[in-house]
Amino acid sequence: MATMNSGNNSNTPATAAPVIPSPKQTQTTVKTVDTQSVLKRLQSELMALMMSGDSGISAFPEEDNIFCWKGTITGSKDTVFEGTEYKLSLSFPADYPFKPPKVKFETGCFHPNVDVYGNICLDILQDKWSSAYDVRTILISIQSLLGEPNISSPLNTQAAALWCNQEEYRKMVEKLYKPSV
Amino acid sequence: MTCDTSSSGCGLEKLESLSDDSISVISENWNGFCSSSEALLKGSGDLSFSDEFVIRAKNLCKHGLSSLVEQHFLRCIEEIFERNGAKRFWSYFEPYRNAAPSETNKDLILEEEIQQVICKALEEISSQKQFQEKCLLLLARALQSYEEDKLQGQANPDTTRVYLFSKYQLIVSSVLLASLPHHFPGILHWYFKGRLEELSTIAAANSEDEEELGMDDKMDLDEKSKLPYKCGDMDSDISHKYAVFSENNKLVKNIGMVVRNLRNIGFTSMAEDAYASAIFFLLKDKVHDLAGDDYRSSVLESIKAWIQAVPLQFLRALLDYLGDFTNFNDPSPGLKSPLASHPSLCYSGTGIPSEGLVRWQLRLEYYAYETLQDLRIAKLFEIIVDYPDSAPAIEDLKQCLEYTGQHSKLVDSFISSLRYRLLTAGASTNDILHQYVSTIKALRTIDPAGVFLEAVGEPIREYLRGRKDTIKCIVTMLTDGTGGNPNGPGGSGDSLLEELNRDEESQENTTIDDDINSDDKQAWINAQNWEPDPVEADPSKGSRYRRKVDILGMIVGIIGSKDQLVNEYRVMLAEKLLNKSDYDIDAEIRTLELLKIHFGESSMQKCEIMLNDLIDSKRTNTNIKATIKHQPQPEQKDLDVSLDNVNATIISSNFWPPIQDEAINLPEPVEQLLTDYAKRYTEVKTPRKLIWKKNLGSVKLELQFEDRAMQFNVTPLHASIIMQFQDQKKWISKNLAAAVGVPVDVLNRRINFWISKGVLAESMGADSADHAFTLVETMNDTGKSGTIDGGCEELLAGEDDGERSVASVEDQLRKEMTVYEKFITGMLTNFGSMALDRIHNTLKMFCIADPTYDKSLQQLQSFLSGLVAEEKLEFRDGMYFLKK
Repeated sequence: MATMNSGNNSNTPATAAPVIPSPKQTQTTVKTVDTQSVLKRLQSELMALMMSGDSGISAFPEEDNIFCWKGTITGSKDTVFEGTEYKLSLSFPADYPFKPPKVKFETGCFHPNVDVYGNICLDILQDKWSSAYDVRTILISIQSLLGEPNISSPLNTQAAALWCNQEEYRKMVEKLYKPSV
Repeated sequence: MTCDTSSSGCGLEKLESLSDDSISVISENWNGFCSSSEALLKGSGDLSFSDEFVIRAKNLCKHGLSSLVEQHFLRCIEEIFERNGAKRFWSYFEPYRNAAPSETNKDLILEEEIQQVICKALEEISSQKQFQEKCLLLLARALQSYEEDKLQGQANPDTTRVYLFSKYQLIVSSVLLASLPHHFPGILHWYFKGRLEELSTIAAANSEDEEELGMDDKMDLDEKSKLPYKCGDMDSDISHKYAVFSENNKLVKNIGMVVRNLRNIGFTSMAEDAYASAIFFLLKDKVHDLAGDDYRSSVLESIKAWIQAVPLQFLRALLDYLGDFTNFNDPSPGLKSPLASHPSLCYSGTGIPSEGLVRWQLRLEYYAYETLQDLRIAKLFEIIVDYPDSAPAIEDLKQCLEYTGQHSKLVDSFISSLRYRLLTAGASTNDILHQYVSTIKALRTIDPAGVFLEAVGEPIREYLRGRKDTIKCIVTMLTDGTGGNPNGPGGSGDSLLEELNRDEESQENTTIDDDINSDDKQAWINAQNWEPDPVEADPSKGSRYRRKVDILGMIVGIIGSKDQLVNEYRVMLAEKLLNKSDYDIDAEIRTLELLKIHFGESSMQKCEIMLNDLIDSKRTNTNIKATIKHQPQPEQKDLDVSLDNVNATIISSNFWPPIQDEAINLPEPVEQLLTDYAKRYTEVKTPRKLIWKKNLGSVKLELQFEDRAMQFNVTPLHASIIMQFQDQKKWISKNLAAAVGVPVDVLNRRINFWISKGVLAESMGADSADHAFTLVETMNDTGKSGTIDGGCEELLAGEDDGERSVASVEDQLRKEMTVYEKFITGMLTNFGSMALDRIHNTLKMFCIADPTYDKSLQQLQSFLSGLVAEEKLEFRDGMYFLKK
């Protein structure tokens, strides 16, 4: 938890900080809601994700907190993101699955719907969220979002502008891609 | 100085009353006394001054100066003794200052020399002492006669003498000890050692001669016994031996002389130390010599006999010679003058050993026990390795330990040798287990309560738990006559089954006892047999638990739970049962019954069901065969296989371990037979249906060639392969694999069996990946003619290449682990690298749904290293990575 927080701060300006709920807040609210059922839900989602065997997506809870996950997405084949791998952080609210988890890119991603701080603009993570979604569907959605961005409402206008030129875009992705060690 | 002042002090009053006359008399007498005493002491044996000396002394005494006389004379003696005696005495030993301590150099000449020097020096100093004692005696007499005159003979005649002599003795020993060179004790030790060795060789020669002499002695004794001086038959033999020992040996006398002389000069304890250490040294040598590396015979008795024969005889002779019986209670043994009493060689001590001798015997025996114990403990590992043969050595050790009580030494030493020699990667699990069992058996003899066994067994158990094949080896040992060690000496493995049987019998016995209302009696016997736990017992462990050392229990203790053992047994049992062609399971039933006794009915339930399946199969099989006889089959094909030839084993697969399923195409006629069999089964046992496991079972084949016939007992796959050659003499592997219905690589592996039997020949096909196989119709190799019985051996050999019909416990574990593999991959994808601990903890935390993660760290580790070997993972600097 602490490591995740500090990781955020290093590349996130102070103004962006409120966007991410502090872990402390999460924990205090957890106790008020039916923690057990949330735990159970996350547990089964983990099991389903592990057993699904989908290639290119993966996520796993951090060491001692099942509300904070680390995720990994690889760029799909035949897209400009092919051969890249992006780390995500998923932070589940205490009233999950009635509220969506906060999902952020930890690795910098040059994408029309991802801002420089890693925030993602994806409808199912905001107003279109439904409790029928789970970690696996979120990851699959994000993976497909990489190949099919929503140009109409970009967070990164430069990327949106460049999207039409796929060759140039690929070069840009390669230039900006910094794989996590 | 103090003497002087006191004498002058007490003389002060007298001085006043002294007249000039008497003063001159005194001074004249004093001068005379001084000169005469000096002359006397220096006179080297010349006693011509004695008369004057005595008179002067008497005169001085009359003037009340007896104490002055005494002091003066003793001081003179001391000075002279110091100047002449002590210095000369030590100067004898000066040349050996550096020779003595180096005991390793066995210079016989030097030894001889030292021996002579010691005798000579001692004799000289003794004679000097004797002379001085003579002078002292003169003084004593003078003083005494004065006393007697004074008290008219009422004084104790000896007091003055005793007093003077004890003083003198003190002077002599203090002078000598004050100037004692540090190498002298070493020389003494050396001397005694040499003498004792000589003695023991003589004794050994004597005992060898004894048999020969025996006859003569008997006759001798018979004649002698008529003579009046003989002291009875009982003692005659002992005294005779004694006589042989002491009278024929001047050696003892010589030693006695040396000891006596040493005592004389006040070295009683030093002499005793020296010969005691020499005796112990010799005893140690003897024990090492007798015990050696032979564990097949008990040596304790012969050591005891030797103690009786050599050191004790020697000591007896020595003590007798020194007249120790009378001296023992004497407060001042050194006082004994050699003139006063000649050591009497009476035999009084031979019948009833003296207190000193008994003490010596106890000391020696304790030392022998301790030495033997140390020797055996050091070699305990080897002793236990050949345990049943080395039982006498164990018995010896037990007796020693009972005497010395140094069990903890045994535990420490044995554990360290176990760690060093057994619990290493090079030792096979079977060997470790056998050693463990031997250890249990051997230590059970030494310590029936099992307390030390507990301590010793722990490291072995700990180690075995880390081995993968432990369970398998244990189960094989338990159930197999060969103990799973076909290469080792046969029969060693039966021991465990024997053990099981024995336990079974003993349990039967106890139940019988209970039946005959002998509870009270049994309780009384138990109470009588009760022994307190050894001091080293760990009080935290229940006492009742320790009462019975149960080998099986201790072996199960290695694994930790009987469930694992039962599971492994189930797998092995399944394997065995599936390979049976008859329904003969008597041996298995017996083993199962034995296991039930130990593990309980419930845990063996599945195994019991498996056996019942076999019994049911036999019955069902007969029933189905019976149906054929009612309605003979018209559709008999050219192939003469009928249902008579098919025997089915019908298993309740829920209770069997997972069975390997492998699809194969059986030859058409056989296939039909099986379907027919299944149909009949359904008729007999509606609504049940048979599902064939076609790859399991065994097939008895007879192959007929142009020039020979061969019989085989093979797996169905082997049989199907060879059946394909019935119509077509040549196959290439791809087509053959398709016909049989197995992958090409499986076919290639399995077909090797027929190639090795010379039934098929392999050649390269047109395509290099395709092998061609041809049937060998005629045998051109004359050596391999006739019927070859391809028995079960070949079948088992076929099983060895990983083709087992039942999933092994490891395979089962592996299957479980593959679920976790996904989790591990998941976490490594997201966290990059993780250490073993962290993977273990993360699995424990998040893998809690079905199947719950319940593996040990070791199991996880071995699984992970399996993944590393498969190149799925990488392992660097203690961290696991995903292989990219």
